[in-house]
Amino acid sequence: MRGNDAPETIVEAKDLTRSFAMPAGPVFAVRDVTLSIRAGEHTAITGPSGCGKSTLLHLLGCVDAPSSGTLMFEGKEASTLSDRERSLLRLRHIGFVFQRFFLLPMLTAAENVELPQAEAGVPRDERRRRSLELLDYVGLASRADHRPSQLSGGEMQRVAIARALSNRPRLLLADEPTGELDQATGEHVAALLDRVNADGTAMVIVTHDPALAVRARRVLTMRDGRITEDVSR
Amino acid sequence: MKPSAPLSPTVLSTTRGAFAFAWRSLVRQPARATLGILGVAAVGALLFDMLLLSEGLVISMRDLLDRMGFEIRVTATDQLPGQGQDILDGADAASSIATLPSVRSVITMRTEDATIERPDGSELRTSLLGVGGGSRRPWTVIRGREVADTGLEVVVNDCTATRLKLEPDATITLRATCARGAEAPPPVSFRVAGIAEFPFDTPGSSETGTTAAALAAACGADVDRSADFLVVTSTGDPDKAAAEIAALRPDLRPFTNEQALSQMERGGFTYFRQISTVLTTVTLSFALLLISVLLTVSVNQRLGEVAALRALGFSRRRVVLDVLSESALIVGIGGMLSLPLGALLAVWLDQILKGMPGIPTSLHFFVFQPQALWMHGALLAATAILAALYPMRIVARLPIAATLRNEVTG
Repeated sequence: MRGNDAPETIVEAKDLTRSFAMPAGPVFAVRDVTLSIRAGEHTAITGPSGCGKSTLLHLLGCVDAPSSGTLMFEGKEASTLSDRERSLLRLRHIGFVFQRFFLLPMLTAAENVELPQAEAGVPRDERRRRSLELLDYVGLASRADHRPSQLSGGEMQRVAIARALSNRPRLLLADEPTGELDQATGEHVAALLDRVNADGTAMVIVTHDPALAVRARRVLTMRDGRITEDVSR
Repeated sequence: MKPSAPLSPTVLSTTRGAFAFAWRSLVRQPARATLGILGVAAVGALLFDMLLLSEGLVISMRDLLDRMGFEIRVTATDQLPGQGQDILDGADAASSIATLPSVRSVITMRTEDATIERPDGSELRTSLLGVGGGSRRPWTVIRGREVADTGLEVVVNDCTATRLKLEPDATITLRATCARGAEAPPPVSFRVAGIAEFPFDTPGSSETGTTAAALAAACGADVDRSADFLVVTSTGDPDKAAAEIAALRPDLRPFTNEQALSQMERGGFTYFRQISTVLTTVTLSFALLLISVLLTVSVNQRLGEVAALRALGFSRRRVVLDVLSESALIVGIGGMLSLPLGALLAVWLDQILKGMPGIPTSLHFFVFQPQALWMHGALLAATAILAALYPMRIVARLPIAATLRNEVTG
């Protein structure tokens, strides 16, 4: 927060466009999107399949580069950053949660959570302590030494959330975080994400799930690469 | 606990733990890792053997020549000892060369075929070496004593002693077949002074050594002043001694041990080096392909994970380093295993090659030298890097967003 003003803007996109070259001509996955994500905000992006939700999320997370338009992350123009600088930005400031978890199967839950900290050079003892704290936070303290194959889908996603929070990011991006979970498990994961947001992490969730979208204070609806609706509650 | 509390300051270390990470990746797929490691071990063993072979014969021959204690060989032509014409005035040449300031001693060497008559009437073919001048002998007595300067005495090699059940002080009847002298010299009785090792002894062959005078007697001549070649010991500078010999006797060709080795390397020895080079290249190519294919398959199976790690902030350098570390681990472990495997293989191959006729017992084709170990390590390290180049390129150029999208839609 900046003084008594509105929450600080973390990400600011202006006329963001992402097109893909195809034999029949360019396909626009995201077209002229302008939006801001502020600190602590809880945003859901919904829309039909292929409308550009995930592409927009990837652009906001600096894992993809826009074809045109600008993306400012904490005041820095992301497209001017080198690959290494963008990696560092993601490592320190952005957490990702994927539909398919992408936990490393040869590592335990705690080791998976430690990974981003290890990459950030956090000393072993400190990252171990932090990982156990995070696993406790997501309700999996007793599963710290279990490998992903020994966890349920919901547990794996909770480990993935703990991993995304590992380096205390300001922005958490989640792409269909309940997409591979049954309804009850998805509900638990959604509740956990609510708690993460309530504890101060800004969040953008791409989802088809109306039950998950309705939890967000701001819902963006996309169609054909454009934001057609931006509703805040 | 607030997950968004500020991160404590840390030193970034993107490379830390890359090896540990790679180790986990290997353990994750034990069959693939085992295949890769065993493949490298087999290829590394062959590579090690080829490196030992490339210089082994030269090193072994140098050792053999050095152990004889003579530094220069003098022949009548440019051909190495035993391959060219005789020195007809060998004894006189030896006497004059012995007077040179850089020369300590000179002996003449002449070899003739001979047969040793057994008590049962059968014969054993032997090679009869006559040595004249100086006190040094090219053989090493292992039982009994050295041949006397005068009288008809011989030393025989262990093979001869065993086959004829000879001990020192035994008497043998020897019939020489000489290139010069009497056409069919009569058999001559010799006393066996001792049992000796001959430097160029070949397995199963009979070797007999005596003085030049005794050899002449065996050949039915009173005196034979010729020699196949001369061997010379210098006072410490073989090159200088060789130069003095060449100046004194321009008609003769002195070879230092190094010059003799160079000539051998230009001759038959070069084939071994060429074979070694070809096989080294082939084995390294196999290792390169094996590791490259294994790593590429492994990386392609993990593209989603790599993309996720990149999205989480892992640098390009780090994911590339992971692949390189995995390659280094496969090659490192396989390379370590290849050394004992290669050593065992070298012993076996050496025995096979030494089974060829005419190969001296003391000569080895595979000889260990530290530089072979370093070269082995360096070549395998280069292989690990080269093999990892393509899979490293895959992860380095991996489009993160497209890969994540494909993992979900695919």
